[in-house]
Amino acid sequence: MDISLINSYNEQDSSCHRIDARAKFIFTLLFILCIILTPPDNWSAYIAYFITIISLISLARLPGRYVLKRSLIVMPFVLMLAIFIPFFKEGEIAGSYNIRSWNLTVTYDGIQVMTNLLIKAWLSMLGLIWLTSTTKTNDLFHALGRLHLPQVLVMILSFMYRYIFVIIDEMMRMKQARDSRNFGGGKLWQLRTIGNMIGTLFIRSYERSERVYAAMISRGFDGQTRTLDNLNFRRSDIFFIITLVIILAAINIVNLLVLN
Amino acid sequence: MHIPDGFLSTSTVAVASVISIGGVAGAVKIVGKELKEKQVPLMGVLAAFIFAAQMLNFPIAGGTSGHFMGAALAAIILGPWAGVLIMTCVLIAQCLIFQDGGLLALGANILNMGIIGSFSSYYIYRLIISFNNSRNAKLVGSFVASWVAIVLASIACALELAISGSSPTSIVLPAMAGVHALIGIVEGLITTVVLRVIMASRADLLESQPVTR
Repeated sequence: MDISLINSYNEQDSSCHRIDARAKFIFTLLFILCIILTPPDNWSAYIAYFITIISLISLARLPGRYVLKRSLIVMPFVLMLAIFIPFFKEGEIAGSYNIRSWNLTVTYDGIQVMTNLLIKAWLSMLGLIWLTSTTKTNDLFHALGRLHLPQVLVMILSFMYRYIFVIIDEMMRMKQARDSRNFGGGKLWQLRTIGNMIGTLFIRSYERSERVYAAMISRGFDGQTRTLDNLNFRRSDIFFIITLVIILAAINIVNLLVLN
Repeated sequence: MHIPDGFLSTSTVAVASVISIGGVAGAVKIVGKELKEKQVPLMGVLAAFIFAAQMLNFPIAGGTSGHFMGAALAAIILGPWAGVLIMTCVLIAQCLIFQDGGLLALGANILNMGIIGSFSSYYIYRLIISFNNSRNAKLVGSFVASWVAIVLASIACALELAISGSSPTSIVLPAMAGVHALIGIVEGLITTVVLRVIMASRADLLESQPVTR
């Protein structure tokens, strides 16, 4: 299966990797919340958040290229949501262009709102990348369970994570078979092929789940999975979360003082 | 349609999260009651299936590509609550693996694509086949249900963005609904073909009682 899907850095070891998954999850949540709450013109705060997350990323010894590449993968979609704003936000006009009979007006306010949204989205994404690249996915799911996500949901998520690879492999084989048969024709024909593939994949997945269930039942499954849950909050985790909460609070307090 | 972090205001995030938490908690309880211990493997493997099916991109006009959402398919075959549960898992995994959709925006994304997508498509499908339970009616019903699910989810997404002040309603609403009216046709066609394949080889799956309450 596609190697880029498997997170290749969360199995490594660094001071960040060793922090309890719950502490990291809570920090990431707070970090993103702080970013969202920051007013658009508060550039110093954004720089402070950027420095915070970059230091955490370097502490985790994640390669910059990898982080940059991962953070940019989704950016085209983010850009698609934001690109219209400068043209439609009312305010001081920065420039206007006539394309045939169509009058496009760009406003400063609009540009500011768009840049702000892109920066917020990108910084939040860096936080998420740091979290997911320093935490094993299964640990993250268990941490969510310990943070009161329903246990059933955690089990389903772990199951899903286990079978994603199996089913994507199955799909890739079908895709290869399709492509080697010269996948072409009109749009409708292509859609029909994709529909047939998804249908076949659905039936295979359903039947696989029945086999998995039968295998689980025959091994005495009673609706509970028991795992070696080695999450424990150590003193270093408490230290980590307190330090970072203080940093986030300091950024906010300094900015409040500066703004007033 | 995955909303990233930063585009929604805190109040929108809060409201959407509360609705989603309620919806997902309901789904866990109801599906668990119906499927008992079979819930875990069935939902887990089918969530992985939707995740995989979403990776099959197909070209749309102008060099862009779209992919299958799957909420309607899951809801039609397994019932709306199971659909919510499956889509929730898919969205959590997409957020944590691909950073597709934000962490705080997860509540809003679950609301749009999970809850609204599953319930609208399920009840529209049921409404259509209540008039006429023939094979063709089921195929037409699945097409209409998938289309409505996509369009409603995109409208909800547009409204959330507009309420948050990210973009003006007059622009984002027609833009999102318009684009997704086209994407919905593709989604509808795929769902219909998928349903036809299932009818041809495992028709019993459609006869089994979906989880409704």
